Amino acid sequence: MASPKDADGSGPARQPEEPYAQRSARARVPLAARGGNRFLLPADPIRNDPSRGIPRAQFVAGAIVAGGAALAAGVAAGPLEDSSAQSERELRALQLLLLVEYTEDTFYQEAVDRGALRGELKEYAAAVASQEREHLDLLRQVLGAKADPRPGFEFGSATRDADGFAAAAAELEDLAVAAYNGQATNVSRSTLEAAATIVSVEARHAAWIRSIVGDPPAPDATDKPRSADEVLDGLEQIGLRR
Amino acid sequence: MADFSLERLDVDGALAEAVDGVGGLSRAGFMAAGLGGSLALLGVAAGEARAQGPGPGDLAILNYALTLEYLQASFYTEAERLRALKGRTERAAEVVGSVERAHVRAFRELLGSKAVKRPAFDFQGVTENPRAFLKTAVAFEDLAVAAYKGQAPRLESSSVLAAALSIHSVEARHAAWMRYLFGANPAQAAFDQPSSKREVLRIVRSTNFVTGSPSTERNRAPRYTG
Repeated sequence: MASPKDADGSGPARQPEEPYAQRSARARVPLAARGGNRFLLPADPIRNDPSRGIPRAQFVAGAIVAGGAALAAGVAAGPLEDSSAQSERELRALQLLLLVEYTEDTFYQEAVDRGALRGELKEYAAAVASQEREHLDLLRQVLGAKADPRPGFEFGSATRDADGFAAAAAELEDLAVAAYNGQATNVSRSTLEAAATIVSVEARHAAWIRSIVGDPPAPDATDKPRSADEVLDGLEQIGLRR
Repeated sequence: MADFSLERLDVDGALAEAVDGVGGLSRAGFMAAGLGGSLALLGVAAGEARAQGPGPGDLAILNYALTLEYLQASFYTEAERLRALKGRTERAAEVVGSVERAHVRAFRELLGSKAVKRPAFDFQGVTENPRAFLKTAVAFEDLAVAAYKGQAPRLESSSVLAAALSIHSVEARHAAWMRYLFGANPAQAAFDQPSSKREVLRIVRSTNFVTGSPSTERNRAPRYTG
């Protein structure tokens, strides 16, 4: 791979051989510094909840700040409509998205641990594994004691060989996009604000893995939302065991 | 991230270094993927929204989105017309261009007589060089993602919201695709941040890509520098 000069001539040449995961980690710093705290509630009740299992430091770390604060604000303050029916709907939506993130986190972690991937796929898996872990941490933090526990998974050969991995990853990322899009109207606008910071990253993952294997990265003009039942079916086909 | 800031784009042709296509995929068949079903979906959402009649706030947001879609569609259409792109980048421009044009049609249909007109654009030569094209495409797509994300929570109508979000994630796919073709990290952070309308429009204005009224566009010859 040729080393492209920085094309606008205003900075140092990029290092194409640097793994994406490292660049990703570095890129998080300015994000967090970009005033993501504006959505924080003054009382910040969710962070002070002692029943929550995740260390505060982990929650505060990195880019989670922006999305996490908005999502936490939405859930802690209760939806604007503030009816118990709406809260129940929002809780169900968040549990579904949590399940999606559990699946992604477990899948990528297992694929990385098994070490069967090489080249672009290996880079992709490492970078995406760390981002999915951040998504999962955020949702678990928001749901706190209400968060469903991590279910069991059997991904079979999908985390053991390259072709199986690529196919399952593309399916999983497309499903994640459809799941987030499908739940958008079931949550409060402030929760949506945070969820929207995740769904486009899932879409980036989908286009990335599809680019690597030569499938169309964006085959449609719109990403069709999928219902909770459709998402559950899809997750089970990929490896969710309930 | 500053790499792709539109404000920093060098539009004077200093981007001529030819680093074309990083990575090794070359599988045919991008165009085989159909767009039909998704357009029907957006059509349904648009129809529902029109029946309810979007409020003034939603109308303003939809016209803002239409403006960004005009910008993107015109960019890809011009790149296609000038035939300066090759291989994977050329195919990507064709696919993404047809999708952005579909987004324009969908918003125009939704807005009816309230739709803003297409401005005239001058892309200052960035459509004439593969590297400059890709860099601009990345900037446009990242900007579109941030713009949709900034507006989605402000939409009142649920059906307009659903339609906007179904486009939002497609723009993110485009962003990752163009980044991949450029040789940049397609997903550089775990969370994508929104941008305000004011910030987005400020950036768009700073490019001088928008040159004036619709009537001047047809007469303007494309600017060839090569």
